[in-house]
Amino acid sequence: MSLGRVVATERRPNTPHEFHFWTALDSPVGIGTIVRVDGNTPVEGVLPHIYGIVVEGFSYTDLQTPLHDVLGHDGNPSSPGFAPTERAEIRLYTAAVLRQIPEEPLQPVPMGQVFLATNEDVAVALRMDGYLRPENNTGIPIGIYRAGGTDSPIYLDADFLVGPEAAHLNIAGVSGLATKTSAVEWILASLFTHFPAQKGSIAAVLFNVKGPDLCFLDQPGAITDRDREIYEQLGVDPAPFKKVEYFAPYTAKGHGLNTLRSNEALAHNLQPLTWGLREVLQFAEVLLNRDDVDAKADALIDFIKERVIDRDFSDPVLSRPHRVQSFGDLEQWFRDVLNGVESRSSGDTWRTHHVATIRKVRNRLSNISTRCAGLVTDEGVVSDLPFGSFEDRTVYVVDVASSEEDAQDLIFARIVSKLREHLERRDLGVKHLVVFVDELNKYAASDAPDTYVRRMLLDIAERGRYLGLVLFSAQQFRSQVHRRVVGNSGTSLFGRMDADELATPGYAVLSPATRTKLATLDKGQLMVRHPHFTQPIFIRFPRPAVMNGRDGAERFPQAADLSLEESVLRSLRRLDPTLTLAWVEDIVSQYDEAEVLRARSATMLARPGDVRGYFKAQFRSRVPQRTAAPRPAPVPLKPAPDDDPYGF
Amino acid sequence: MDGGTPLELTVPASEKAHTVSASVLEGTTVRAHPILRPVEAGFAAFLDGTQESRVVAYDRGVPLVIGTVAAIVRERRNRRLVTWAHERERSLYLPRNHVTPALWDESGPLALVDTCGADYGGPVGSGHPAALADRAYSVVRRRRDALETTLAERWCAEGAGPLFVDGSIAGSPRVGTATSVAGIVKSHRVLYVEEDAMQVVFGLRRGERSSMLRITPKWATVATWYLRIRDSAGHDPLWGLVRVEIAASHASTEKADEISSWILAEAAPLSLPDARWDTMVYGIRDCEETLRAV
Repeated sequence: MSLGRVVATERRPNTPHEFHFWTALDSPVGIGTIVRVDGNTPVEGVLPHIYGIVVEGFSYTDLQTPLHDVLGHDGNPSSPGFAPTERAEIRLYTAAVLRQIPEEPLQPVPMGQVFLATNEDVAVALRMDGYLRPENNTGIPIGIYRAGGTDSPIYLDADFLVGPEAAHLNIAGVSGLATKTSAVEWILASLFTHFPAQKGSIAAVLFNVKGPDLCFLDQPGAITDRDREIYEQLGVDPAPFKKVEYFAPYTAKGHGLNTLRSNEALAHNLQPLTWGLREVLQFAEVLLNRDDVDAKADALIDFIKERVIDRDFSDPVLSRPHRVQSFGDLEQWFRDVLNGVESRSSGDTWRTHHVATIRKVRNRLSNISTRCAGLVTDEGVVSDLPFGSFEDRTVYVVDVASSEEDAQDLIFARIVSKLREHLERRDLGVKHLVVFVDELNKYAASDAPDTYVRRMLLDIAERGRYLGLVLFSAQQFRSQVHRRVVGNSGTSLFGRMDADELATPGYAVLSPATRTKLATLDKGQLMVRHPHFTQPIFIRFPRPAVMNGRDGAERFPQAADLSLEESVLRSLRRLDPTLTLAWVEDIVSQYDEAEVLRARSATMLARPGDVRGYFKAQFRSRVPQRTAAPRPAPVPLKPAPDDDPYGF
Repeated sequence: MDGGTPLELTVPASEKAHTVSASVLEGTTVRAHPILRPVEAGFAAFLDGTQESRVVAYDRGVPLVIGTVAAIVRERRNRRLVTWAHERERSLYLPRNHVTPALWDESGPLALVDTCGADYGGPVGSGHPAALADRAYSVVRRRRDALETTLAERWCAEGAGPLFVDGSIAGSPRVGTATSVAGIVKSHRVLYVEEDAMQVVFGLRRGERSSMLRITPKWATVATWYLRIRDSAGHDPLWGLVRVEIAASHASTEKADEISSWILAEAAPLSLPDARWDTMVYGIRDCEETLRAV
């Protein structure tokens, strides 16, 4: 049964991209409703069908001016307003054309009856029929389109979400509505479930940049029966992610990992993220102030990277050969170089580098391990993501929420660069990788100075899809993110938007009604733009089946500050549950904290069969303390004879 | 050719303003009766008709008039008006004895109406084009009245509840005697009161009606009274004044009060911007707008 009729006037004609229709006052049509128009006149023998989405609505009566209503109430708004007859009233809608069948010739929308779109209509209107074919189904369910009793699954095309046709996903929305993070968690679950087998393996690296948002992805969350229905309808298991690995740097003190997921009950899949000199120096420019480090400093850094690190390095000015493998080694090398240069009388340069430049670079590089304490170790101990052995359908969460800004930048830069390198070489372990970065306003702001992290994000956005490196990004204000990052996102999602944000030029393409709807979206609602959809679509998605950050933080409270011994025990117990605190205390009591932490890191990295032996072996052997034997009493001198002529 | 100014705008009013005396049905003299009962909606439907006639061509000085008449009953359901019945006619109005037989025979798909037929007053004495146009206009008007009467009679037979008819109901014996119909006349070219009674009518205040009168304007004898539905202060004495007709056999003080209260209830919403909004109820405006649209 039709719910409306197409109308067109000379003043408001229909076009190939827009048409108008009216409905009964009680029709279920609203902004975002998808409708179908059945034309009455065949074109080239085919009756046209036009699919559109409602983008604007009008309502008015035959009242010509508001003054007439004033007169009708004698100027008194509180006067009895009951009239036996309601004024003639209209619900007039404007719809943007989603698709015309046949697509050629493209004509203005004809007069005809308007119907609420059925499930099949929705699939055709959004061109989903092209990628939901049984023999080549690349559909990734993203949510439910709901209107007037129609509950239609909406699918994204994996070829346009993950590549190679288009790629990347960006989501914008105000903070605090649990929409952005929830949407990404839900979409990842759907992607992992429905990613086509023929496209290969897929994994995700998520950067947790604030609070405990992504800290409990492996724990079940509470969902409603309605959510469960949507999960069932979309063929996704309402369960937490099965394979999740967490990574976090140590705290600056080094005892525990710097994450809100530090509860011992969740320690089984939490690993430290620590890097040494070799890992960091390649990305030194992330941390070095470009105004401070000039071309001369750059040249010295390059020299160190290429000629000094991990090499046996000798030089006449040095007191000894050096092999620099850690920040500690580097500091000794610098000290030796400077001593050598300064003790010479022949000028103040060494290998064309001025001593002032050497001092400056020493200062900046040595400073890195301090600024990124917990992440960067002086000793060069490395605990990293499993580059090369990434596993299919696995989520790798890197928790940088509690890290300093410099450390965050370094982590982003290095991990993403490594991912890119491995994907280029096709040896990451998976064929496709989704990288999720929240707070893009901060990391790829349009009006901020150019940074390494921003350049890296731009690079992923522009070239990642060829590699299988897909950027899922989120931010509050899309207008403040670099245009090339959001512009290259094939798929864009919008949660509830701030009115100021909607007033920016980027949203001018949306009708005022659509913008109003965007400003009032409820939790769990999104507006979706996807290359196959010629107009934005409103959908509803289920709550992710994982524990949200707030619940997780309450159920798994953060571990209290641990003593050195306790933290070592907690780490090593993951390798050998039989260890006891007393044993650890016995071992470490003779050594300083730095040595203990180094031994722990080395053991964790090596994962030896004999944990006790390996850990113990990391310490320098010390001579046992012994009490000195009493010195023998001095033998008294023989008294001089009385007649000794030399006696006194 | 399908243009020209509508005859409705060019033909002068056929009826001169005058008064007619009528017998009083309620008491002995005409006086004002305030409507004290609660104002409430009672009409189930509204009936109105429209007409439009234009001279589209001349044949040897004879105007060829295309006339469109329509009538509609809009029924009130859940405070909204919907079409209960709708009739529309489009005809070519010709004085058969003034046009060539060939023209009459080849007039095309439109129905022909002979404006000089016996039903419409016979031959027009002069061949003056204006006189022929006036006759055509008059015939169109009668066709409209007939169409309205047809729908009113259908309502009497099939409709449920009281029908608000725009205009007199005395044109049809069946309608004029029906108990479910009230005719509301907005124009007052003929006043059925004289002298003191006229002053009583002119002095009616909002919510007051005159005493009932008995009149026989056309085919049926009906009971009638004047009712002020809007305060006329600052306006002419006929402003906001309507005349109500019901079947004479049905007339009683209670009935007149009841129907008056129904009419007063129809004072809202206003029929603006129609110039006759002081006397036109919204249901009738809705009929006109609907006819204009369809």
